[in-house]
Amino acid sequence: MMWSTAAPAVTAAFLASLVEVVEAFTIVLAVAMLRGWRPAALGTIAGLAVLAGIVLLLGPLLDRVPVASLQLAIGVLLLLFGMGWLRKASLRAAGVIPLHDEDAIFAAETAGLTEQTYRRQKNLDWVAGVTALKAVLLEGLEVVFIVIAVGAGRGLLVPAGLGALAACILVLAIGAVVHRPLSRVPENLLKFGVSIMLCSFGVFWTGEGLGIAWPGQDLALPLFIALFLGAGLIASGFARRLSVEFA
Amino acid sequence: MMTILRELAAELIGMFFGETRLAAALLALVATTGLLIDFAGLDHLMGGAMLLFGSLAILVVSVCRAARPRAFWAR
Repeated sequence: MMWSTAAPAVTAAFLASLVEVVEAFTIVLAVAMLRGWRPAALGTIAGLAVLAGIVLLLGPLLDRVPVASLQLAIGVLLLLFGMGWLRKASLRAAGVIPLHDEDAIFAAETAGLTEQTYRRQKNLDWVAGVTALKAVLLEGLEVVFIVIAVGAGRGLLVPAGLGALAACILVLAIGAVVHRPLSRVPENLLKFGVSIMLCSFGVFWTGEGLGIAWPGQDLALPLFIALFLGAGLIASGFARRLSVEFA
Repeated sequence: MMTILRELAAELIGMFFGETRLAAALLALVATTGLLIDFAGLDHLMGGAMLLFGSLAILVVSVCRAARPRAFWAR
């Protein structure tokens, strides 16, 4: 296992999971505060079970796909996903679109569930559980994709999975202590960093899938990371100037 | 149940194709690079440079496009 591939893979899985778990935690916490921990925990467990099912279903299938095709498919998907995140993070850093606000999301989820209390009191535990399930499922889907994408190409699924698990444990441990949305997590900075790694992996795997032998092999990754970091900062700088110019 | 499945499908599509122009440009870049390598005999290293620097350029253009008002691009 090359450190130059393993380190970015584990770091990307850890940081991406950190961002997504914080988002899911905010909604699960809102459910728990309003309706108690039972529907929140049941919804979370159900969401995790569905995610585990997806991983168990996809895992054996991935082994059957030829390596070059797998690298190309995962590389293109990583590039699409990572560039979308990097674009959004650059625009947020430039102030063109607002930052993700965990406190606002918590308030919106709480208000939504409170409103439903008046509308259909009987089914509220069910609604709350489904809300927690959806949060875990939708945010967890991105974590599953990132772990599979950064891990599958070079047999790093277990280290990447452990990176994601460490992020889950960290968020849950902090959440259990503070008992409020983790709004101090510098989410955009994390997303900026993770998306740079995802884009770099995306170009690397796509190139390998197309038959390109990168000079220095895995050592090309740090160079790609530096270039995407530079491009992200330049794009953000341009965006800031443009938004001021046309304001 | 159907609502959850629908939201799950929308989330999956949005993960990769949330920004249509960006996704189309990236797919076109990958397809062009692959075709040039396979059928036009483009040197692999040149293909790699095209893929890497093309992606960087697409990112910068996409961010700048989003920062400017729509009217500017319609001129």
